[in-house]
Amino acid sequence: MTNSEKSKVAAQEKVARLRAEQARTERRRVVIAVSAVGAVVVLIAVLVVARLAGGGGPTTAASGSSSASASAAVTSAVSHVPPATLNAVGAGSANNPPTAITAAALKQGGKPRVLYIGAEYCPYCAAQRWAVAQALSRFGTWTGLGQTSSSARDVDPDTATLSFHGATLTSRYVSFNGVETTTNQPAGTGYQPLDTPAPADAALMRTYDAPPYLPSGSAGGIPFLDIGGVYVSSGASYGPQLLAGKTQQQIADALKNPADPMAQAIDGAANAITAAICKTTNNQPAAVCAAPGVTAAATTLGHG
Amino acid sequence: MAETEPEPIDTQPPEPGATPLQAVPNWVPRSSLAVCIAGLVIAGYLTLEHFTGATTFACPQIGTINCVKVTTSSYSNMVGVPVALLGLLYFGALTLMCLPAAWRSPLPFLRALRLGSVTAGLLLVLYLFWAELFRINAICLWCTAIHILTIALFTIVAITHALSGPLRSHQP
Repeated sequence: MTNSEKSKVAAQEKVARLRAEQARTERRRVVIAVSAVGAVVVLIAVLVVARLAGGGGPTTAASGSSSASASAAVTSAVSHVPPATLNAVGAGSANNPPTAITAAALKQGGKPRVLYIGAEYCPYCAAQRWAVAQALSRFGTWTGLGQTSSSARDVDPDTATLSFHGATLTSRYVSFNGVETTTNQPAGTGYQPLDTPAPADAALMRTYDAPPYLPSGSAGGIPFLDIGGVYVSSGASYGPQLLAGKTQQQIADALKNPADPMAQAIDGAANAITAAICKTTNNQPAAVCAAPGVTAAATTLGHG
Repeated sequence: MAETEPEPIDTQPPEPGATPLQAVPNWVPRSSLAVCIAGLVIAGYLTLEHFTGATTFACPQIGTINCVKVTTSSYSNMVGVPVALLGLLYFGALTLMCLPAAWRSPLPFLRALRLGSVTAGLLLVLYLFWAELFRINAICLWCTAIHILTIALFTIVAITHALSGPLRSHQP
């Protein structure tokens, strides 16, 4: 073999080696890529199987959202529960009605003021907002109601609800201030701040969200409701678990059916709150305050 | 036995900052761009629904299928940004990265960015899918479509990246 032939063979061998190495590298890359895709598919299958096998569970995960605007359908359904339904429900299955207090009248613009202090993460606030929003809708018109859910990492996670952050009640009978102190987005050991109560309102809460006005067990709790300085309440009127798995629309739609357990709880609580508000408005509007459902719920109001 | 001449291997030195690549098959830019545009449209719809309060959602509420519950859940935002908007930005950026001209580009940075982006998108999709199954207890069909598109995009990009990896034949 001549030197020229030897050098040609050597070159061919080198090319062959390079090609083999290149092919190996390419195969390795393809195997990695296909394995990654396969792992994703397997992981998804495992998640689905685990879920089907019943592995749901408590909440420890990060969460995060503030409210979006409530849909017109939800706002309308909450604001237009048929009077016949509300009368049929009366006090319903609600408990923890507002309790009378002796305090300076809470007014704004010459009208009794309703102060709500809660937080978007809070599941009990999530439950109570439905009743508060519905009760106040009987005295005016809502604009800017929010739509959100309670924290995913608290009890009764992701309870569908409304938000009073940025909401306005236009009413000739009462004024309303809704304070949502945090979103439902975790931040550190708590949640991201949202609204800050006015110092006077924070002082009201410190004073009246405590004994002797409320049971010691609910002291400092939210949601806190001060109705014209005449009635206060702390906490929810029913368990948020009643709303588990429901959307805002499903809850809002259920309010018109007096046989629905959600209507029994929410409409009943709304009637009680309405009755308390009526005490501050000289029973105006009469059509609302004299409604049988409201007068029935009025008998459940606490006397402090 | 007849000897065959070996095919020449590209031994041209790369441009500065560039990595020599095998050409990607024609179907890659086409399919990836189609996936990105589909994702862009769906993410745009979800973003619109997010900012209009999900009032006109074309999504059935049957059993665990419930788009509103998912898109208004506490998982619908991440660090204050709506997930739907993140999806819109994600597919917008990937659309640019999956244009035929971008696929032809030999810039390593662009290839790494494309691969990194689809990987990040895939991880986020897995997290959100987990949240739907185990925390929200509802499945959003539109979100599922986005998840499928994201996985498809990851598959296309990852395999293409593997097949068109840098050649080493320019080494002396």
